[in-house]
Amino acid sequence: MIYYIFLLILSVFLIVLQSMITDVIFSSCFIFEMSLVVVIYTGFHLDFIKGTALAFLIGLLMDCVGGSVLGVYAFIYILTFWTSFFVSDLLDTEKTHVVIFYSFFCVLLKNIMLNTFYYMVYNINLFLRTYDIIFTQALVIGLVAPLIFFLMERAGIFLYEN
Amino acid sequence: MFLLRKYKMIIFVMIILIASLIMIVYNLKYDTGKNFLRKIALETVAPVYGVLSSSIRSVQDAWTRYILLVGIQEENRNLKKKINELKAVLVSYQEGYQEAQRLKKLLAITDHDPYRFVTAKVIGREQAALSRTVLINKGLSDGLKNGMPVIAYPGLIGRLVDVSWHVSRVLLFVDENSNIAAIVQRNRTQGIISGAGSQGMILKYISKTQDVQTGDIIISSGMGGVFPKGWLIGQVINVDRQNAGLFLKIKVAPFVDFAKLEELLILSSEETADK
Repeated sequence: MIYYIFLLILSVFLIVLQSMITDVIFSSCFIFEMSLVVVIYTGFHLDFIKGTALAFLIGLLMDCVGGSVLGVYAFIYILTFWTSFFVSDLLDTEKTHVVIFYSFFCVLLKNIMLNTFYYMVYNINLFLRTYDIIFTQALVIGLVAPLIFFLMERAGIFLYEN
Repeated sequence: MFLLRKYKMIIFVMIILIASLIMIVYNLKYDTGKNFLRKIALETVAPVYGVLSSSIRSVQDAWTRYILLVGIQEENRNLKKKINELKAVLVSYQEGYQEAQRLKKLLAITDHDPYRFVTAKVIGREQAALSRTVLINKGLSDGLKNGMPVIAYPGLIGRLVDVSWHVSRVLLFVDENSNIAAIVQRNRTQGIISGAGSQGMILKYISKTQDVQTGDIIISSGMGGVFPKGWLIGQVINVDRQNAGLFLKIKVAPFVDFAKLEELLILSSEETADK
């Protein structure tokens, strides 16, 4: 139970920090989606149920804070987690370039799913208008992903030791 | 129970998926902006957001202030540079204005007197003699000769002693080697003005019976043919009648500050410029 409470607090901090970085560094050009990288990391390292719970929680918070349709991010994050979870057996997830490329494709995929959803529901094709932003976002997050992985590892070691 | 344990993961996955889908569908159909879950999440996030936001803002403000200070410093440097440039311009203007004023006075002299003048600039002073001779930038090539009287507003100041091709030396009245025949304007008493260095000038050979007072104007007498008659030389500042000699000891102050001489007129001949 403590684990899930801790997850909740961690998720809140993560979402807020992500919003801050987006606002300060990237001037809200695109969302610096660290949360997605965290979900990928948990997919590679955490067990299925805990990871799914975390992905669901972070996604739900993203929905609530970001103002999107409630459940969309939660659904996409869960799918991302599951994909990462099953792919982790096939890929060498310790290698930096694997992390970079996988994160890059996950961000792209997430955006494609999100845009498809909006297209299906509201008949809005955001992809054509925002493909350059999406690509930049995927590139930036892909490149930063190894650093976030490293920080997550350090945080995991710190928590385990204490 | 066995089934529940066996298919725990599948059941979990199904629950999560169904929950997500239900949320999506419910929100799409009935979202009125009053979602309770969203409110709870926002209420939870807001304090954390506030704390992080204020700390980031303080860092951001500090950075902005730093950038601003750097900008101000740069601006300050540019403004100081500009001030110095403008000061230099102002000084040159003031210099020009003062030169114009001096030349105007000299021109007033040349306009009213029937002489031919050569204008010259002071280019040097003999430091050892404490400004008792000055160098000017005109010489033989400009028609100057030894002994020519030199004038600065408002009167005579000396004569040429060494005339080179393009440079001349002016012996000032305050030089101890300088002697010039003069008269007291008020009572036409004649005497000799001698240089006394830093003391100014002394009017010599005036008998004690003569009425010479402080404030009397001394002008050139025209005797000797070097200096024209009636030009201002100085003013009596002290008359000593108590000395043991036969003559009065009269101190005369020149009208011109010899230390500030810049432009001079040399009286080259008695012919007018118009002739």
